[in-house]
Amino acid sequence: MASTRTKNRRAAMALSVVVAAMVGLAFASVPLYKLFCQVTGYGGTPKIKVAAGDSASTRQIEVRFDANVNKGMPWHFKPAQVHVTVKLGEPKLAFYRARNDSDETITGTAVFNVTPYKVGPYFSKIDCFCFTEQTLKPGQEVDMPVEFFVDPEIYTDPNTKDVHAITLSYTFYRSEPEDSDKKAETAARPVDGKSNIKG
Amino acid sequence: MLKRLFTLVPAAVAAMFSGAGAALAEGVVAKSTPWQMWLQEPMSPSAEMVHDLNVLLMWIEVAIVIFVLAIMAYVMVRFSEKNNPTPSKTTHHTGLEVAWTAIPILILVAIAIPSLKTLYFADHTPDADMTLKVKGNQWYWSYGYPDHGDFEFDSVYVPEEELKPGQPRLLTVDTPVVLPVDTNIRLLLTSNDVIHNWAIPSLAVKLDTTPGRTNETWTRINKPGDYYGMCSELCGVNHGFMPIHIKAVSKEEFAKWVVGAKEEYASNDTDKQPVRLAKAQVR
Amino acid sequence: MAHAEAHHDDHHHPGFFTRWFCSTNHKDIGTLYLWVAMFAAIVGGLMSWYIRAELAEPGLQLISNDAEGKQFYNVLVTGHGFIMVFFVVMPAMIGGFGNWFVPLMIGAPDMAFPRMNNISFWLLAAGFALLLTAAFIDGGPGTGWTVYPPLSSIDFHPGRAVDFGILSLHVAGASSILGAINFIVTIFNMRAPGMTIHRMPLFVWAILVTAFLLLLALPVLAGGLTMLLTDRNFGTAFFNPAEGGDPVLWQHLFWFFGHPEVYIIIIPAFGIISQIVSTFSKKPVFGYLGMAYAMAAIGVVGFVVWAHHMYTIGFNVDTRAYFTAATMVIAVPTGVKIFSWLATMWGGSIKFEVPMMYALAFIFLFVVGGVTGVTLANASADLVFHDTYYVVAHFHYVMGLAAILAMFAGWYYWIGKMTGRRYPEGLARVQFWFFVIGVNVLFFPQHFSGLAGMPRRIPDYPDAYAPFNYISSVGALITAIGTLLFFVVLWRTYTSSEKVEANQWGEGATTLEWTVASPAPWHTHEELPDMTGKAPAE
Repeated sequence: MASTRTKNRRAAMALSVVVAAMVGLAFASVPLYKLFCQVTGYGGTPKIKVAAGDSASTRQIEVRFDANVNKGMPWHFKPAQVHVTVKLGEPKLAFYRARNDSDETITGTAVFNVTPYKVGPYFSKIDCFCFTEQTLKPGQEVDMPVEFFVDPEIYTDPNTKDVHAITLSYTFYRSEPEDSDKKAETAARPVDGKSNIKG
Repeated sequence: MLKRLFTLVPAAVAAMFSGAGAALAEGVVAKSTPWQMWLQEPMSPSAEMVHDLNVLLMWIEVAIVIFVLAIMAYVMVRFSEKNNPTPSKTTHHTGLEVAWTAIPILILVAIAIPSLKTLYFADHTPDADMTLKVKGNQWYWSYGYPDHGDFEFDSVYVPEEELKPGQPRLLTVDTPVVLPVDTNIRLLLTSNDVIHNWAIPSLAVKLDTTPGRTNETWTRINKPGDYYGMCSELCGVNHGFMPIHIKAVSKEEFAKWVVGAKEEYASNDTDKQPVRLAKAQVR
Repeated sequence: MAHAEAHHDDHHHPGFFTRWFCSTNHKDIGTLYLWVAMFAAIVGGLMSWYIRAELAEPGLQLISNDAEGKQFYNVLVTGHGFIMVFFVVMPAMIGGFGNWFVPLMIGAPDMAFPRMNNISFWLLAAGFALLLTAAFIDGGPGTGWTVYPPLSSIDFHPGRAVDFGILSLHVAGASSILGAINFIVTIFNMRAPGMTIHRMPLFVWAILVTAFLLLLALPVLAGGLTMLLTDRNFGTAFFNPAEGGDPVLWQHLFWFFGHPEVYIIIIPAFGIISQIVSTFSKKPVFGYLGMAYAMAAIGVVGFVVWAHHMYTIGFNVDTRAYFTAATMVIAVPTGVKIFSWLATMWGGSIKFEVPMMYALAFIFLFVVGGVTGVTLANASADLVFHDTYYVVAHFHYVMGLAAILAMFAGWYYWIGKMTGRRYPEGLARVQFWFFVIGVNVLFFPQHFSGLAGMPRRIPDYPDAYAPFNYISSVGALITAIGTLLFFVVLWRTYTSSEKVEANQWGEGATTLEWTVASPAPWHTHEELPDMTGKAPAE
């Protein structure tokens, strides 16, 4: 029979492990949160897919485009089209126009989400300027593409079948360029999608 | 005589409890009145449902408080030391314990049903006739009209010294948001810096504006008039000084206003020649 | 205080410095905690009276109409919240009454780790000093106790104020985590023979449940605080959207801690009230097992409802529906407790001593605060209530009224045991009425302000909100008098020559602390009391 002293020490050890585990859980929440949103589409996190399926359908949906720049980002950034109507499953290309209105070269990264949030799992971006940084020289203006499709499953899911309009929204932030000689890149090679953590 | 009492008294009580100020010639003024003890009068379909839910909640809660108070009052008198010198030894009563677990559960279910109905209704944007973009800044709101030529303007707090007579303190802005009545309006909200919150109590709209993310909700304004709200998330020193003022007008007036606004707040798109150095490459 | 009466102690008395700065005595440490809590209550109270003085009338009267003045107001709001939660209620109930009475009630000579107990206290004192420092440097932290980024990030709160605030919370958190370990080990391992878990007084149950909540919730706060600290100072981007972070993540981490925190605040109060209601009804608590497990249930469910503080951030409607339902579930075990206290009194022989008056006030006012919580639990209702004074009214009713009333109840109940002296009866009753009337006049009108749409955390308000704000400020004045009267009671008690007997309260006081002398000797239960064969609590 262990003495009270020993029992106390053992109990304190066990409880300390619990404390450490909870701290670990707090830090683990960072990647878990990101992963959870990417996998489930929670919080309006679109899917980053490589190709559309063959399940095109005749049903249509309106997709709207929204653009923002954060404070301290002197770019003019607007969608080239306010909205388009797309067939479900059909890949569509849309453009955003960005112009560096300042007198210095500026690099930006874009974060994004879709609304309403519940359509996140059904909105896929095949190709997007947001996957890489963009650098614009003073006065330079570019058209930036985003290729996407809306999964026809959106209308079979009872949760989302009442949605007739999806809004895709970007916010450009100023960032430090990885390579200071980087030129404007608008072709996106999907690396690890630089998606914003949303949840 | 008694009949007058039965109409006048409830009317007076209702006035104390109601929200909207007297309807002026040009419409509703949706803000708090002095001594107001209840919600502002609901002016949107969502607000009507939220209002009704709160009436239900209040009656249930008042009943619970009175019930507990009554038991306490009885117990304090009946079982005071003087009136009951010998305490009983009862520490159990299964029936009672089941009852006071089961009945609260039933009450909560009764609340949950209208509550969740209201929640889903207020959340789901019906087919929208137009979109309003709302951006929070330290310390003012900017508004955009993407469906009407995508013009934008800032709506800045007017300090006390600069108010005109009749303008409410802390609620007046230089440029109100103009919106049409009887129109489903999609609201897209984001922030330029810290988290703010765009809130209009009479419309039951309240949603955080978070930087790097766009939130969506909707509203529909029932009557023309002035609708007021205040920023509802601590955002720095002037958190209390960035009000919201919506001017709701008829659809015809709104169309007229849009024409003028497009010119006045012309977007920058037409200013510069587009210089395309790189074109999009599609895979 | 526990004057080490010479005639009972075999031990050599430590000198003043050793006794009070290097203590390993649970009673002395409990005393230290109570003094810090009272001091902090004055500081936190002064902040709130300043706020109420500013809000008494529309316009800015006390703070200057510029950035500095308004930042100062936000710092007052922040400081008031932090101080009351972390440096008044928690130290008083857990550090103060917990330390004093858990060992006494379970028949243990002291806590499991007496030196760690002392470390916990001094960490708390250090944490308080750090918080006060934060308030006075670089403009102070004007973020609210919720510290949301980006407002709390380096871009919008440059300087060191928020960093000192973070450090303060880290230190106070460490204090509580160590204390929690101490309480859990003591309660599990050091009960006297025969004192089974199901014979422990409900106050001990309350501290046990609270200790587990502290253990599980505080580390998550610590994690989040560390992330905020590194975001501010070391270039990480946990909460910075510009670099792939998310401000909402902070809210999840904070409220995952923050909701259990409010149960950490109230569950010890539940324990105190159970002891007092039983003592002054001269009846055992009705449904002991139900009461114990209701506290455990509240604690457990309290971990899965955090996002009801975030209903308007814009998250999925199904998730909001879940949190609405889960939050309302907590009303059930809470109701069980309220009804059990009423059933305890039913059939009892009630003596309306001052502790019992406070306990009765607690029960009623906690119900008032609790029902407004039911309203707020509904995500759809929250569309008009979030960040308004309705929320302020709700949490002040459950924390500022109920929890504080339980603290007063505990003080009046146990002060005789702690000091051996009797409090002045008449003055105590006057103090009770001033305080209880004061806090009701203060906070009840705030429900109306909130219903009418008045937002929180603003130094000035549209004129329509003036009438109820004025009344509320008058209530603050009455409360201030009630608080002042308490300190007069305190002083009169300490200087009183009236001694109290070991069991001041008679047949209803059945727990072990009433079997030792008053004041409790410096060392108690050196021979473990034998509880075998004693009638079970059930």
